[in-house]
This record gives sequence, structure tokens and C-alpha cells, in this order.
Amino acid sequence: MKYESQSVAKLYFIAAIGLFVGQIVFGLVMGLQYVVGDFMFPEIPFNVARMVHTNLLIVWLLFGFMGAAYYLVPEEAETELHSPMLAKLMFWVFLVAGALTILGYLLVPYATLAEITGNHLLPTMGREFLEQPTITKIGIVIVALVFLYNIAFTILKGRKTVITLVLLIGLAGLAIFFLFSFYNPDNLVKDKFYWWFVVHLWVEGVWELIMASILAFVLIKTTGVDREIIEKWLYIIIAMALITGLIGTGHHFFWIGAPEYWLWWGSIFSALEPIPFFMMTVFAFNMVNKRRINHPNQPAVLWALGTAVMAFLGAGVWGFMHTLAPINYYTHGTQITAAHGHMAFYGAYVMIVLAIISYAMPMMRGRKACNSAASQVAEMWSFWLMTISMVFITLFLTGAGILQVWLQRFSDEPMSFMVVQDKIEVFYWMREGAGVVFLIGLLLYVYSFFIGGEERTVEEKV
Amino acid sequence: MYMQDTIKTKYPPGDLALWIFICAELLVFAIFFAAYAFTRASNIELFNQYQATLNTDLALLNTIALLSSSYFVVSAIISIKENKQKQSTLFLFLSIVGACAFLIMKMTEYTHHMSEGINLTTNLFYMFYLSLTFFHFMHVILGVMILTVLWFNTRKGLYTADNHDGLVSGGAYWHMVDLVWLILFPLIYIMR
Amino acid sequence: MSEVFTKSMARNIFYGGSVFFFLLLLALTYQTHEAWPERDNHENLTDQVRHGKELWEVNNCVGCHSLLGEGAYFAPELGNVYQRYGNSTEAIKAFIMSRPKEGIEGRRSMPQFNFNDEELEAVAQFLKYASGINTNDWPPNIQG
Repeated sequence: MKYESQSVAKLYFIAAIGLFVGQIVFGLVMGLQYVVGDFMFPEIPFNVARMVHTNLLIVWLLFGFMGAAYYLVPEEAETELHSPMLAKLMFWVFLVAGALTILGYLLVPYATLAEITGNHLLPTMGREFLEQPTITKIGIVIVALVFLYNIAFTILKGRKTVITLVLLIGLAGLAIFFLFSFYNPDNLVKDKFYWWFVVHLWVEGVWELIMASILAFVLIKTTGVDREIIEKWLYIIIAMALITGLIGTGHHFFWIGAPEYWLWWGSIFSALEPIPFFMMTVFAFNMVNKRRINHPNQPAVLWALGTAVMAFLGAGVWGFMHTLAPINYYTHGTQITAAHGHMAFYGAYVMIVLAIISYAMPMMRGRKACNSAASQVAEMWSFWLMTISMVFITLFLTGAGILQVWLQRFSDEPMSFMVVQDKIEVFYWMREGAGVVFLIGLLLYVYSFFIGGEERTVEEKV
Repeated sequence: MYMQDTIKTKYPPGDLALWIFICAELLVFAIFFAAYAFTRASNIELFNQYQATLNTDLALLNTIALLSSSYFVVSAIISIKENKQKQSTLFLFLSIVGACAFLIMKMTEYTHHMSEGINLTTNLFYMFYLSLTFFHFMHVILGVMILTVLWFNTRKGLYTADNHDGLVSGGAYWHMVDLVWLILFPLIYIMR
Repeated sequence: MSEVFTKSMARNIFYGGSVFFFLLLLALTYQTHEAWPERDNHENLTDQVRHGKELWEVNNCVGCHSLLGEGAYFAPELGNVYQRYGNSTEAIKAFIMSRPKEGIEGRRSMPQFNFNDEELEAVAQFLKYASGINTNDWPPNIQG
């Protein structure tokens, strides 16, 4: 760790992992509720478990992105962080606000939470992923602005690199598009249209810039490949991401009351959205193959390669499978959607955060470059357990989805939703099984941090 | 610079990054064209009926404008290969004139459509016609900006016989825009 | 010697391409706004429907149900529940009213919201309004 202030990232990363564990626990609760319908009803109805699961996901990823920025920006800019004190303060503000929000979801009925947080003054609650009380949302904006200020001023006073610039653009975009969460019109069509200006322009837009810049950083550090080459490719990848993803937003406008031309514009552009993910996969493997050093932190390289592959599969391939309007007509709002969503989020965003944590944590804990061989082996096991079980979760949900589409949407004598859910139950049980394995992988991941031992060394030059 | 003689001629010429971008753009247009052709097959009467309302004369003039413009870009590159900066600058200027002529004529067409209340939601034919031509139109605008930058640079003496990658790259983009129109024009305006 | 491709070209393509497509998105968004009045059923967006939407949100119905295909996939699609229940707001109200507080054993259960008459009517009217939006013929059939 070259700069003292990089250590604030440790707080963020620890919180991220803690919240990740919470997310998966609630995921398992939901998975069980899918098959044992009244499990934990009425104390924790499905919708409450769901908002805890999804909100924890988003918040822990945000902690991950902020930690990543606090770690890599000082190193890239070759200067200390502008204000480590503010970074630590915002950490606690975000963590406490987040914790209170989750407790709010769990302890009081949602309608009561809306009342006591004054939702009626500016109603922003009750939409998917944006369930947070308006005051929490305002808190998020404040935390984001202070964070951006801190990072921007650090970049400004030091060396400006393509990586920090792209990361900053991505993070600024994240903050700007979040503002759309405050726009909640009475008109349901408008509501839905602009909701996607947060969600799509996040995960299929500016978050891709964040992912790509963190990936580029990890690759430079672990392969020793010339920065110029990596930065060139970074620009091309993010260019393709926005060129396809901006109009690709249209694939969410097929069936919500927007005009018909979106069926064409949305299908054509979103069909091309896999391209940047494909490029990232080729890019990652190429850089590792052309590496000049053998970095002793094996898991970090594994996470970096893994994120490119899983993002391509989950976001690119699974996304493509249901993005064309004629197909989406039948699969819209089914388990196909859930299958894609899980693998895409895991591949693109969970794994890139785990990659930067894997790379940075050993050094923030006083190591030179990596953990002991035993710790690394455990971490790599956790990689495979989580990744393979996620593949199975996705496959089982895809199976469920295909059967659901066939029985409920495509058939000449369509069956009702609840009857179909009964018929695809076996897939849900299998999914839950895979989910348990995922949790085991995650617990092993956490455990690997506590495995000590002599730092692993290798012959570095290739 | 004897190395130039011993190294194989670079292919493709110009910047590979731009070629990746050009391929991506051509892919989008190709898919759009395919979608048009496919949709037309199921809606022949509708498409024929509204195709007849298009101004083919103006479109022909537009084709001539773009072809001339591309010809001037090629001439500019030939000139710079002979280190004739001034001549190259003049050719680039003429290419911009051709491009602007296209833009003005296209805007005339659009104004006519707008006055008749035709827009993207009027019917399937007009949806394709307006989408494809407007998407192309925006690329022509971008092309004018690129050609203008090239013109400025050539005027400043930035390009020489040995080093004119930027000019070749920009020219490649412009040829792509021209190529798209050469497919668009017969496909949408003429073919019945 | 010239490179195969330059960072500055890649950077220009990124900035130029992003601005280009962002402007295109704005243009299409503007056109979408123009097209909405014919499609969004706003004629039926009454104060009662507004209240219904508010109730839909503060009770987080979208946390179990989908609406126009968006939301959760635990419970049925409600964008066409008005048609599915025989074009009857009474039937929708009856269903909501009848949910047992403790849930149904072993079955996916819906909370009892203890709505009063006015609230029930508002929610039902909101769902009726939603069913009148032009969704390009989605969903494919009555089951949603």
C-alpha cells in the first residue's frame, strides 16, 4: 500500500462483505418462501425479504465501488486522498443510514415506515429497488456528493490517468442518474419510463464504466502489461458499452405504454449490448496471456478473469436470449428475467468488487502483495463454489422460466400463474439447494480472511 | 524512413479503433436494413403505398451530393500523399459543401413531412423511413464535424505524405456514411 | 512509426459516440412524450386513481406482484387483473378484502391490509386504469 489514506477502503470492504452475507441470508429466505409459501409469514412477508435482499445488494456494491475508488485513486493519482476524515465519516453515515433503513423494512409495516418518514411530502417509496424512504434517498445523495468531491479533488491534485477519469465519469453518472429516483409521476407510464433512467442507465450504462476501470486497474497491477495498451482498450470497451446501452434502454420500453418504434430500436441496439462484455473477456484473457509478471495473488487474477466471463455469460448471453421483442413478448416478467438478473449482477458487479477486495485487502492488512498459500486456496475454492452454484441457480431458473412461459404464456390453453408456479416447484427446490451451496462458498470466502500463514511468494518475472 | 519500404502496407489503413467503431455502426445499420426488408415482406401493400409519397428526385440529388463529397475526400487523401497541403485543404472544403448540401435537402424533406403531421408513430413504413434516414442524418452531421476538424488540421499543415493517419481514418468514417446511404436510397426509396 | 490504433482515437470515439447516442436518446424520449397522450390512458387518471397508485406504492404491492411485467414474480401479474376478474372492480376488492391475516397454510400468502372502502375502491380503480394502457398487446393472454 503506497499511500496511508488508501486504508480507508478497508472499512468499506469489510462493510461490503458483511452486507453481502446479509443479502444472501435473505435470498435463501425468499427461495424457501417460493416453495413453502407462508414461511415467516406474516412477520417477514415475501416483499419485505425481497426489499432487504435487493437493497442490501445495491448498498454493498456501492460500498464496494467506493472502497475501490478510495483504494485505487490515490495510487493512480500518486497522491494521498484529499480527505480521509470525510471518507471515514461518510462510511459511518452510509452504514448507519443503511442499517436503519433495513431495520425499518423489517420491524414496521412498510406503510407505517412511509408514514413515519414523511413519504407524503415527496413520495418516492414503493418502487422496485427504490423502496428506501425519501430521507434515506436524500442521505444517499449527500454521501455520493461528498464521496465524488473527495475523489475528484484527489484526482485533480495528482496524476490524471484514463482509469481514474473513466471511474470518475462512471461514479458521477451513478450519482446523476440516481436523481431520477426522486421523480415519481402519477402517470404510471411516465413513472415506469423514467424508472429505467435509474436502473438501466446504471447497470447497463455507467456501472459498466466503473466495472471496466476497476478491471483495468487490477489487470495492470497483476499482469504488468503496459498501461497504454490497457487504457486504449478501456476506451473502446466503454465506448461500445454506451453506444449500445444508451438506445438499448429501449428494450425496457416494449410493453409499458411507450410507442411501438421502441420494439425496433430497443431490440436492435440491445442485441449489440453483449459486445463490450465480449471485448472485456477477450481483453482480460489477452492481458493475462501477455503478462510480464507472475503476480503471487492468484485469487485476484482468478476473480478478474472470472468476472469478465460471468458478466459476458450472465449479462451478455442470457441478456441477449430474451432481449428481442418477439421473444420478450412471451418471457417478460418471468423466471427467465430472474435467471438473467442473478447471473448478470453476480458476474458483472459482485465479482468485480470481490476482485478488487481480493487484490487490495492483503496489502491493507500489512502484507506485501498477497495472502498465504492456504488462504489463497480457500479463497479460490470459494470462487468456484460461488460461481458454479450461481451457474446452477441460473440454469434452474431458466428451466423454470421456459416451462412457465410454455404453460402460462405460449400454450393454447394457458394455465393460471399460481397453478404454473406449483408445476415448476422442483426447479425452485433445486435453486434453493444451489443457493445453500452459494452461501457455503461465501462463508468460506469470509473464513479465508482469517487464515494466516507465511505470505506466498513466486518467481515474478515471466 | 526506409522502414516504410520494408514493412508491409498497413491494413486496414488508419486507426484500428475507428474501424472497430465503423464495423459496429455497419452492423447496426445492417440489422436495421434486414428488419426493414423482413417487415416489408409482410406489409408489401402498406410499404408500396407510402413509399410513393417520398421525394425520389431530392433523394437522387442527395446521392449525387454524398458521392461527390466522398470523391473529394479521396482526392484530398491523394493530394496529401503528394504533400500538396493546399490542394488537399480545398478538396476537403468541397467535401464539406457536398455534405451540407445533403443536410439542407434532407431537412427540406423532413420539414415537408412534419407539416403533414407525419412522425415515427404514423405507420410502420414511416417508422422505418424516419428511423433509418434520421439515424443516417445524425451520422452525416457527425461526419461534417469530423470533416471540418480534418479541414482545420490539413490547413494547419498537420498531415504530410508520411503521416496522415488521421485523414485516412476520418475519410474511412465518411465513406461508411456514404456506403450506408448507397444502400438506404435504393432500399427505401426505389425498390418496389 | 504509426500504431495500429491510438488511445486518442479510442478516446474520441468514446466521447463522440456517447454524446451522439445520448442526444439520440433525448430525441427519441421527446418523441415518446408526444406520443403518450394517445396511449397512456391519462383520461382515466383521476384523483381516485392517483390515490390508488399511492396505496400501491406505500403497501409495496410491486414487492410480490408484477405490473405490466415489472416487479416481483412471486404473485400474479396485475396489469390485466381487471379483465381477468371479468372487468369487475368489485371482484378485485373482494379478493383483497378476503386475505386471511395469518396467511394460508403452506401457500404463498398475501397480507391483510385492512383497507377501508374508499381505499379498496382507489386500488381497484388504479388497476382498472393500468389495464387500459396501450401496452402493444401485452400480456399474450388473460393469465398475465
